Amino acid sequence: MYRPAKTLFCAVNLSALVLAASMPARADGDVIKIGVIAEAQSVSGSSIPAAAQLAADEINAKGGVDGRKIEIVTYDDHSSSADAVRAFQRAANEDHVSAVIASYISEVVLALEPWSGRLKTPMITPGAASDVITANIAKDYEHNKYTFHGYLTSGSLAKLTCDAAKTLLVDGLKMKTAVIMSEDAAWTTPLDAGYADCLPTIGIKVLDHIRFSPDTTDFTPIFNRIEGQKPDVIITGISHVGVQPTVQWKSQQVPIPMLGIASQATNSTFWKETNGATDGVLYQAVSGPDVAVTEKTLPFVDAFQKKYGNFPSYAGYTAYDEVFYIAEAIHRAGSTDGEKLVTALEATDYVGTIGRVQFLPPGDAHVHGLKTGAGLISGLFLQWQDGKQINVWPTALSKGSLKFPSFVKTSASQ
Amino acid sequence: MLSRILKSREIWFSLIIVLCAATLPVYVSGYVLGLLTIAYYFGVFSMAWDLLFGFANEVNFGPSFLIGLGAYTAGILDSLYQPPIFICVLAGVAAAMIGGVVLALPALRVRGPYFGLTTLVAVLMLQNFVVVAANLTGGEIGLTVPDIISVDDKVNYWLALGFMTISGLILYGLSRSPVGLILQASGQDTVQAGALGFNIVKHKLAAFLVSAFFSGLAGALMVFYLGAASVTTFVDVTVGVQVIIGAVLGGRRTILGAVLGAVFLIVAGEALRPLGELATFIVSAVALAVILAFPGGLLGLMRGSRGAS
Amino acid sequence: MLFWQILIDGFAISSLYALGATGFTLIFGVTGVLNLSHGSIMVAAAVAAWAVAGTFGFGAYGGAFVGIATGFVLSLATYFMIVRRLQETRSIREEEKEIFILTATLLWGIMLQEAIAYLFTNNAKTVLPIVDGVVSILGVRTPANEIFTAVICWAAIGCLWGFVNRTRAGKALLAASMNPRGVTLLGFELSNIYIAVWAVYGALAGIAGVLLGMFLGVSSYSAGPLTASAFSIVVLGGLGSVSGSLIAAYVVGYLETLTAYLVSPAYRAIPALLLLVVVMYLRPRGLMGRR
Repeated sequence: MYRPAKTLFCAVNLSALVLAASMPARADGDVIKIGVIAEAQSVSGSSIPAAAQLAADEINAKGGVDGRKIEIVTYDDHSSSADAVRAFQRAANEDHVSAVIASYISEVVLALEPWSGRLKTPMITPGAASDVITANIAKDYEHNKYTFHGYLTSGSLAKLTCDAAKTLLVDGLKMKTAVIMSEDAAWTTPLDAGYADCLPTIGIKVLDHIRFSPDTTDFTPIFNRIEGQKPDVIITGISHVGVQPTVQWKSQQVPIPMLGIASQATNSTFWKETNGATDGVLYQAVSGPDVAVTEKTLPFVDAFQKKYGNFPSYAGYTAYDEVFYIAEAIHRAGSTDGEKLVTALEATDYVGTIGRVQFLPPGDAHVHGLKTGAGLISGLFLQWQDGKQINVWPTALSKGSLKFPSFVKTSASQ
Repeated sequence: MLSRILKSREIWFSLIIVLCAATLPVYVSGYVLGLLTIAYYFGVFSMAWDLLFGFANEVNFGPSFLIGLGAYTAGILDSLYQPPIFICVLAGVAAAMIGGVVLALPALRVRGPYFGLTTLVAVLMLQNFVVVAANLTGGEIGLTVPDIISVDDKVNYWLALGFMTISGLILYGLSRSPVGLILQASGQDTVQAGALGFNIVKHKLAAFLVSAFFSGLAGALMVFYLGAASVTTFVDVTVGVQVIIGAVLGGRRTILGAVLGAVFLIVAGEALRPLGELATFIVSAVALAVILAFPGGLLGLMRGSRGAS
Repeated sequence: MLFWQILIDGFAISSLYALGATGFTLIFGVTGVLNLSHGSIMVAAAVAAWAVAGTFGFGAYGGAFVGIATGFVLSLATYFMIVRRLQETRSIREEEKEIFILTATLLWGIMLQEAIAYLFTNNAKTVLPIVDGVVSILGVRTPANEIFTAVICWAAIGCLWGFVNRTRAGKALLAASMNPRGVTLLGFELSNIYIAVWAVYGALAGIAGVLLGMFLGVSSYSAGPLTASAFSIVVLGGLGSVSGSLIAAYVVGYLETLTAYLVSPAYRAIPALLLLVVVMYLRPRGLMGRR
């Protein structure tokens, strides 16, 4: 009844498949490999490998790092921490990358953090925000020092949002009250705490605080509850969702402006995805398409647009910078050894597309987080206006004034 | 019963393959081992599902309910109190078995699509719970557990292989035992099997408990391999779908085929990873083609006979 | 005020659920198939409408038309490429066909979902609405689109009712759902009836998908939950009973809306699931089930 020979044959076939899959081109030991683990199917995530590749091309065109070319190895984690862990293992054990640039999702980065220590492979996140990432490093520096936070922490994001809200809303529009609306995720817990702390200090009273599941599709009840409180502004903390709340905000003509973190709004395609509903939405960003944060910003945006036909997401800017300062660190360390690379990365002082990158030193509660402030990274606030992302804060870099769609009532116009 | 299993040539060939697999760490890289480790745990998930479907004839859409209960109970316990790992695993198994009883109750009352739906609802409820109780479970994407079994790929690999082999032997033995035959009979014609004097309720309950035991155990062990638990790895409907597809693809009612299907799914998904986002699409397409062209599954194909009858 | 709000919002969402579930239950009633690619077909219709209306600039009506056509084509593809082959094969035992059709349609749904994510990313998309603006009903500021959604849903359900009860083909279809053998004795080719029912289903799923895309927006992630919600509504109403599904759709829709407004949006789905479990235990054949 059975055909043993055939069974065995198939088993051999299967193992051949496994072996074929596991045979990478390991020929040239001269190449420096950098792994990029990202969410290829999401707009925020898909810029990460693209921007990293662009950076590598530019470095290689100038002769590479001490004569060694940089090779970007990309992995898709399907927004799942398990897939990301597998990708990380493959990157470290199989493809022998020197460092990994990983993910814009905090949960994914948190799952990778212990692996970065276990496999002694430095990892930098270009877009996750949770404060827990750096808190973990502070708690157990020896094990977790391989992780670097290449994007602002939620705490810093909240503070920057308050700084902007002070200028734009309190001084500009005389606003006094707000409702916080954020998605339930790891990165918003410290964000909301930060909002609740700093909003009162700039003279805005928090009337209510709504956290909703990232699975939410119908935002009508949420906007209704917010409207019932009659706040002057909705302070947002959204990243996994974006299109749906924005479109429903417009279709229901919620008369309250939205300002805060809205990661998807940083994407140039957001206008099209929302059919223009995003008109008037104010959001925090580290860079904007027309804003020369540093002399490197606009050349990067141009090159990215030329190569890929669209604008980078926020995580694209940081991923691009990260490849450069990883390359610099390898040059300074004179080695790709994990431990030495960590020491070299800690000494990073690099002016990139989003500002001047320096990491907080060991001993700080947010060790390996970015230093923020004037002259370092201060962030921007942009507003969608007629299909364009217009920078409105800080005032020095501002390209226009606030403009809201007609259904939105601001205190000034009342 | 034991002698009958030992007489089965299928078992001997499987054991030879297992022995070959046990030597893999000598010549393949840590990465391949890591991949196979996951594949073996999925193999156990699929075998446990096949026991319920193939022998008790219950279409359980909720294998990930049992897996998730095991995984999250173990993971949460570890993140809260850090007891020794085996205690966490035991707690996970216990939770999964309680879950098995919860699933078995409707199964004794309703049939076909109705039972399928109740199991699906169980998964959705667990998923909702994980998301809502975020401060306990880590919410949407993850709970990081402080302890793992080992950092060493080889240790993890052998553990998973050994676990799968033992689970396979037990489940296979069970399916070929008088108990398995009674289950099969009651699955096909409950009334008649009852009339022959078999206690259907007892046997079905036992099948659910056994299935839950292995699902929960595998789930809990996998948590301590990955060092993280997340909805997308353990609870999501798609995880259950993958388990079911693995079992059907490998050949239903065969137990051993389930391993083949699950390993194929995981390995093929990874081998195609260089294709990036299209990998899942292609694996699904291949699985669909196999199901349409060879309903007996991979094992049926190897046996060269039609179906598993 | 809150009362009217819940009444109006609940009505729109429930109508959409009703339309989505009607096609699903029709397929089950007539052909005995649970189509687990349901959600993916709806999402595909919505995304097609979005792409045609926005990216290719054919406007809201062009988008809606292409979206519905997409649902129609995919539904027939599901039938011809997968379901019919499994139904007619002799190498699977009759009682096992159910699990094969379930697994195969699931795989097909995953393929559609992945293809959508690959081509259009998994970000949520909203279809350009046909009507814009807001209307005030009893003091509730209601988007005109919400009213439009409810009206179209009921128009489509009404057309279906007319078709089934007033036309010869429709009556054959109804008869087939009660007794497939009997219909063949009357001279109808059963396979033609099957094709007709899949075609009707495709159009309904297409309309529901496009409306959902205009009303709330969809992403490739929505496919699974959409299938699950259609499945639960249909089981709650009683498998194969169209009127049962309609009632169940409103029960679920209002239960969800009430929870979202009065408790918290985070718990939205839970009471409906609990109700389903309770019904399963007390009345396993659903509210109006006849099988």
